[in-house]
Amino acid sequence: MDILLIFVNIVIFLALAPLFEGVIRKLTAKVHSRQGPPVVQPYYDVLKLLGKENLVTGNLGFKMAPVIALASILTAIALIPLGFRENFLTQYADIITIIYLLTLGGVAILLGGLASRNTYGVIGASREMITMIMVEPVLAMSFIMGAVKTRSLGLDSTMYSTLGSGYSWSLALMLLVFIMALQAFVGRQPFDIAEAEQEIMEGAFIEYSGPNLGLFKLYKMLKQMFYAVLFVTIFMPFLKTGFFIADVAIQLVEVLVVIVLIAVLGSTNPRLRIDQAVKYFAVLIFLSLAAVGLSVYGI
Amino acid sequence: MPNIDEVKKRLTDKFKGDITNIDQPVNNRLFVDIKKDKVKEISNEVIAMGGRYLVSVGYDRLAEEGVLGLIHTFSLDKDSIMMALRTSTPENEPIESITPDIPNAGWSEREYMDLLGMKFKNHPKPKRLIVADDWPADVYPLRKDVPWNLMPPPAENVAYELDKCPEGCTVVPVGPYHPTLHEPAHFSVFVDGETIKGADYRGFMTHRGIEKLCQTQLTYNEIPFVAERICGICGSVHATSYSQAVEQAAGLKISRRAEYIRTIMLEIERVHSHLLWLGIAGHLIGFDTVFMQSWRVREPIMWLGERLTGNRKTYGMIVVGGVRRDITPELKEDILNVINKIEEELLVVKNAVIGDTAIHKRTKGVGRITKEETIKWSLVGPVARARGVDIDARRDNPYAAYDEMKFDVPVFDDCDVWATVLVRIIETFEAIKIIRQCLDKMPNDGPVLTEYLDPLAPGKHGLTCVEAPRGEVVHYLITGKENSPERWRVRAPTYPNLQGVPLMLLNDQFADLPIIIGSIDPCFSCTDRVDVINIKSGEVQKMNRHELEEMSRKYKK
Repeated sequence: MDILLIFVNIVIFLALAPLFEGVIRKLTAKVHSRQGPPVVQPYYDVLKLLGKENLVTGNLGFKMAPVIALASILTAIALIPLGFRENFLTQYADIITIIYLLTLGGVAILLGGLASRNTYGVIGASREMITMIMVEPVLAMSFIMGAVKTRSLGLDSTMYSTLGSGYSWSLALMLLVFIMALQAFVGRQPFDIAEAEQEIMEGAFIEYSGPNLGLFKLYKMLKQMFYAVLFVTIFMPFLKTGFFIADVAIQLVEVLVVIVLIAVLGSTNPRLRIDQAVKYFAVLIFLSLAAVGLSVYGI
Repeated sequence: MPNIDEVKKRLTDKFKGDITNIDQPVNNRLFVDIKKDKVKEISNEVIAMGGRYLVSVGYDRLAEEGVLGLIHTFSLDKDSIMMALRTSTPENEPIESITPDIPNAGWSEREYMDLLGMKFKNHPKPKRLIVADDWPADVYPLRKDVPWNLMPPPAENVAYELDKCPEGCTVVPVGPYHPTLHEPAHFSVFVDGETIKGADYRGFMTHRGIEKLCQTQLTYNEIPFVAERICGICGSVHATSYSQAVEQAAGLKISRRAEYIRTIMLEIERVHSHLLWLGIAGHLIGFDTVFMQSWRVREPIMWLGERLTGNRKTYGMIVVGGVRRDITPELKEDILNVINKIEEELLVVKNAVIGDTAIHKRTKGVGRITKEETIKWSLVGPVARARGVDIDARRDNPYAAYDEMKFDVPVFDDCDVWATVLVRIIETFEAIKIIRQCLDKMPNDGPVLTEYLDPLAPGKHGLTCVEAPRGEVVHYLITGKENSPERWRVRAPTYPNLQGVPLMLLNDQFADLPIIIGSIDPCFSCTDRVDVINIKSGEVQKMNRHELEEMSRKYKK
């Protein structure tokens, strides 16, 4: 049964991630006073890309990058306790594993960007690297706060920390920081700096096309949904019923709320410059450290 | 404040022997014939009197007089005078370059090196500007003995040599095709990390040789329609400026009603152009909501254009002697309704943009150049007005019905991209104000087209300007034989402004490059057709204009 839950995780993510992407595109279009593409458009996009000719630069890193990215996010997905039910793998993972896996996805983008040997790709990779370095501590801190509370690095206990201890000032602060960093986690405006179509034409992805680009697109959609699930599991655990299917359904509705938030934030902000973003992230890191500090004292 | 007689006196006093003739066909135009040795000194003297360099005109008189003509034109904005310094030089004798003192003359002079084979002494950057890299070095396309449709064979392995990259910097190519540019042009940007340390420009990739084409193939009355196609966004300004130049050379006075209709068309064009720019600026800083909303606000004025002239854009309205269509009382009503609605909606967009601190972050302090540099480089339009330079051709050299209009010219001292945003938004409101005044005051009688039946005498000169949305357009016309101009020189506002871009880019972030280049509103044009291909059968169905319109109307609410 526990082993089956791994596949439940992966199937739910693969099936719904493009849908949430579609919701974002539709909402953005509404804010723009546009009609927008159908909600299922991202499925078509990925399917179409997967069916195209695969053009590669002949460089191993370039070929491997999308596969590594997708594999890393799928592994992370396999580990998390969706619907507050641990699966077979959850017990073997801790928060360090998750952070490493999420970083690996970013590293794969770097690899792809640098391996493409394109000027814009290299600029994109360097921006991606800066963003990663600055955002990762925020992600780590939100896990570490749970770890401090439960005195364990275990994935399940950390993610349930709010469920166990309830809301506190430190958690409220961390919630705020997480929302402020959300757009950077999912690489959307105002923090889509590493892709910046108007400046560096999708940055690290510039040389990618066909199936490879499709894998990267899928990776980005999965990552977006992953962060949304992470958000609702850590910060919004209050509607736990105990029935697995009901819990999953409730979580997915909550994910939809987060997705709406992402769409609204994304469509009402211009892109920041990397130097401005770094200053912004520095504040976030400081705030998240403060939140962890508070949680140590049980505030 | 020198008036025109004082200007004449000051020049003749100082350069007695070097000025051979002064011609003043109309009140506020001066055509001064000078000796070629003193070009630099006299140009500098005009600048010292408060002149602003406009453009140079080179033309071929080899067959007639054995010389190449060169005209430097200036505007004394405060005194409403436009003047031209005319000189000439034999084919192989170099002429003193004025670029070291007036940097904006750089492109004009390079242009005549390319097109006429002129030689300039002490030009700081005597590189190719206009002709393609594989164009033969000894064929000068603007000379009369070169046919207009000459196509030299392509050559292999020739490339433009870009400026040297400074030590420690890397080259980032922006162009020839790049989402920021919307048109083929190549900026080679030298960056240190993300900071821009310099740039070289290679453009003119879509140079169409319109001037040569019109001088050799078309007649006076046909040119306005081609002139309008110089720019896909602000075409009327070229048609107006050209028509005014012909009218000036011929001494033709058009009816007041036609002048009012011209004014209305020019201001309608300004409203649509500034809204278009606002949208693009939003897109360039990654803010697509501003993009989509401004274009939504803009759409009714495109439909209005169609009802007034038959076209959303490229109106084909303005011709030599007046305009082609009248504005009836029903259309007046229509215009009023549309501009009222746009004003209302624009107010919402304006408040949203001005109050958005995130937009301030991306535009304030970006693309900064000082007022002195702006004057030195002779930049024009909103770019100059955003840097404290108070110039506007509508007020300084009034044409059409602008002498009767009351409007403000917004000028800001911020010296950055943010100020250009403000200037353009305020100008849009001013344009709406001007349209209202026009509708109010327009005389109800008078022909819309005044005919001129005599043949135009050759050798007459006309110099006119029109304030386009992007800045001032300058047209210089020399009448010729056989019902077509001997020389017609067009200077679009992007021509001087683009020369100032490397200066604006200096020491800014690479991420700001799109909005800095975008802030001058570089002109682009596209005329696409759509082919619908059925993948299964391979059948190609061409969508014609009518079908496309039907489709776009179907989805329009």
